[in-house]
Amino acid sequence: MSSPQMLNSLPATSGAYTNGMQIPKTVKVGHLNHYFGEGELRKQALYHNNLEVRRGEIVIMTGPSGSGKTTLLTLVGTLRTVQEGSLKVLGHELNGATNDAIVRLRQELGFIFQAHNLFESLTAYQNVNMAAELQGMNRKLADERITYLLTRLGLGHRIHYKPKSLSGGQKQRVAIARGLVHQPKLVLADEPTAALDEQSGREVVTLFQELARNEGCTIIMVTHDNRVLDVADRIVNMVDGRIRSDVAVHETSVICEFLRRYPLFADLQTSTLTEVADKMMVEEAQPEDLVIRQGDPGELFYLIRSGRVDVVVEENGEKRKVAELGEGQYFGEAALLRDEPRNATIVARTKCLFYTLGKVDFKQVLDRSKSFDAEVRAVLASRT
Amino acid sequence: MPLFNRTPLAWKNLTNDWRRLAVAVAGIGFAVILMFTQVGFQNALFDSQVKIIDDLQGDIFLVSRAKYTLAAEKRFPLELVDQAASCPGVSGAYPLYTELTLSRLKNLSPGSSGKAYPIRSLGFHVSDPIFNTPGITSQLSKLMLPHAALIDVRSKRENFDFPFDDERALSAVSAELADQRISLVGTFQLGTDFAHDGNLAMSAENFAAYFPQRVRVGDPLSVVDVGIVHVNKDANLNEVRDLLDSIIDDSVFVLTRQQFRNQEISFWDESTPIGIIFTAGKIIGFIVGMVICYQVIYSDIADHMPEFATLKAMGYNTMYFLRLIVVESVLLSFVGYVPGWMASAGLYSVLADATGLQLHMTLGAMLLVLILTIGMCIASGMLAVRKLLAADPANLF
Repeated sequence: MSSPQMLNSLPATSGAYTNGMQIPKTVKVGHLNHYFGEGELRKQALYHNNLEVRRGEIVIMTGPSGSGKTTLLTLVGTLRTVQEGSLKVLGHELNGATNDAIVRLRQELGFIFQAHNLFESLTAYQNVNMAAELQGMNRKLADERITYLLTRLGLGHRIHYKPKSLSGGQKQRVAIARGLVHQPKLVLADEPTAALDEQSGREVVTLFQELARNEGCTIIMVTHDNRVLDVADRIVNMVDGRIRSDVAVHETSVICEFLRRYPLFADLQTSTLTEVADKMMVEEAQPEDLVIRQGDPGELFYLIRSGRVDVVVEENGEKRKVAELGEGQYFGEAALLRDEPRNATIVARTKCLFYTLGKVDFKQVLDRSKSFDAEVRAVLASRT
Repeated sequence: MPLFNRTPLAWKNLTNDWRRLAVAVAGIGFAVILMFTQVGFQNALFDSQVKIIDDLQGDIFLVSRAKYTLAAEKRFPLELVDQAASCPGVSGAYPLYTELTLSRLKNLSPGSSGKAYPIRSLGFHVSDPIFNTPGITSQLSKLMLPHAALIDVRSKRENFDFPFDDERALSAVSAELADQRISLVGTFQLGTDFAHDGNLAMSAENFAAYFPQRVRVGDPLSVVDVGIVHVNKDANLNEVRDLLDSIIDDSVFVLTRQQFRNQEISFWDESTPIGIIFTAGKIIGFIVGMVICYQVIYSDIADHMPEFATLKAMGYNTMYFLRLIVVESVLLSFVGYVPGWMASAGLYSVLADATGLQLHMTLGAMLLVLILTIGMCIASGMLAVRKLLAADPANLF
């Protein structure tokens, strides 16, 4: 019997193990540092950034201005030269890549900039076509796709208008169509919805979702627009050049849902639950692995993400299986609550994935839960 | 990558803003006009140097080897002309006499300055087929009288103020050539050039009478300025020329009409400052055009930096941008050339009327200026393209 494996202290909310081991990543950032300026004025803009983005994911990057998210976006977009660390985009290592390789790679990327950058001399159709032409797309297919995208973005009646007869939002939508027309594998967008009203902003992100689902297109978007956060599969928050959190939205909500089933956590607000989820780490166990041994000091709270375990209690030298736990269930809380040794042994039945929470964090959460409860009682009691 | 069926971005950008296009066309058109005037004046001045050659009959010309230009009074013996006449394939050879040093014409009519001014005198035997201009050949009989001469109506007016329009009044004018009475019995048209302010045409006999000092001793008609050789219609011109060259004394050049013309023009072009001045003029036009063209292309690039940077981000490579700017330059040169050419053609006809210069819009001049214009636009485009290549898509986010 062996112990379960800690996986490089991988946070539970990274979603890295949601669907088992993942196929090649669209973007893989490893220990990336970036500096601006030279000599005395050299200033570090990115510190040890690590990030993985899977195919078909929509990633939203947030953070205050100057936090480095735009720098990271331009690096991923091959628009800046990688200085230190590794950056793989669509399987190509960008650190030390040749100019030709970069120009070729760019054709597989789609860019949507904050400014529309349309040629005033070209119609909406021709502007979009500039991207299609470069790929040598089949004329008929390109024509269909341009018309589809522009119509889809609410510009069906303005296809042959020049930018000067379009409103700011319409121009931005033309630029979005231009960024998507050549079926890019990776779209990098900077505030794509900032210039749009709610309805067309919604239309744009819905289109993003469709592309992500139907064409496996990966989208990395910097935005401060709270109205579109719901489409994100992953939210990356950056502060001062560091990735502060990198959270898989769906996985986090699954964890929160599970945590809420635990009576002591049931009263917690979603924001608190999210924080708890954020502190959990991933652990993996093979069948027959011993997860907890009865009598050991308790250090972790376990949540089963997948797989099944047996609960075995040893009494009077006799081992007795008392229960079998599955996905969404938890164990290990009793020892933490009462500072006692483990009262049962847990053995993995199948291959298992756990999300674990440390003792200190666990207690902190409980305190907050209590104080919240007490606060509510106090408020209610003070009502006369 | 297919070249056709692509979005004609260069053309679209060029024509998008008509005000900018108008400025570009005006600027480049101006440079085109500058170059056309230089080329035109140069050709006109060279043409006027060789106008007399164009007005002569004959296929082959004999001139003294020392005669580096028509204005240089270097002569050769008359016998050589006779020798040429006896050469196989030659139908006739005739002498043409010219005189400038001794030839001074003085207007003695009341109100004139009474000063003598140099004028070129052309002497020839009236029976010889020398000139092909009807202005002279129709008046040959008048020249047989003593003291008779025809005067070039395009002679410089300030020096030769004669009533050219009225033939009766002209013949009544009292004038002296080389201090002898002369009667101007009619007019013809030849034109002035750098060396000659006017022309007189007269019979060889009269010529000899006016300028006996042409030679120290003997017959003034024994030395010839230009020998004019007529070749048989069925003979090969070049063969006859080569034959003459081998027969005739080496002190004489044997030249075809084209060689004669080229020799005269190359003297003025290469051995005088004229060629340099006009070349400098063309270079100035070229530079002015380059500056204007550079401004147009540069500001077009500068105004579209984010758009070009976006194209770069999309994956358009350096070759695409170079080609884009070359195409834009060539288009600019054409849209500037056409109106510039039209304006120049108009200017030529106005100036030709005003100055009497031979300003012709020749195919050669048109091609030369077109090539210069295209070169000028491409050169400035290549200077401006550096700005475009510096466009950094990293600044777009």
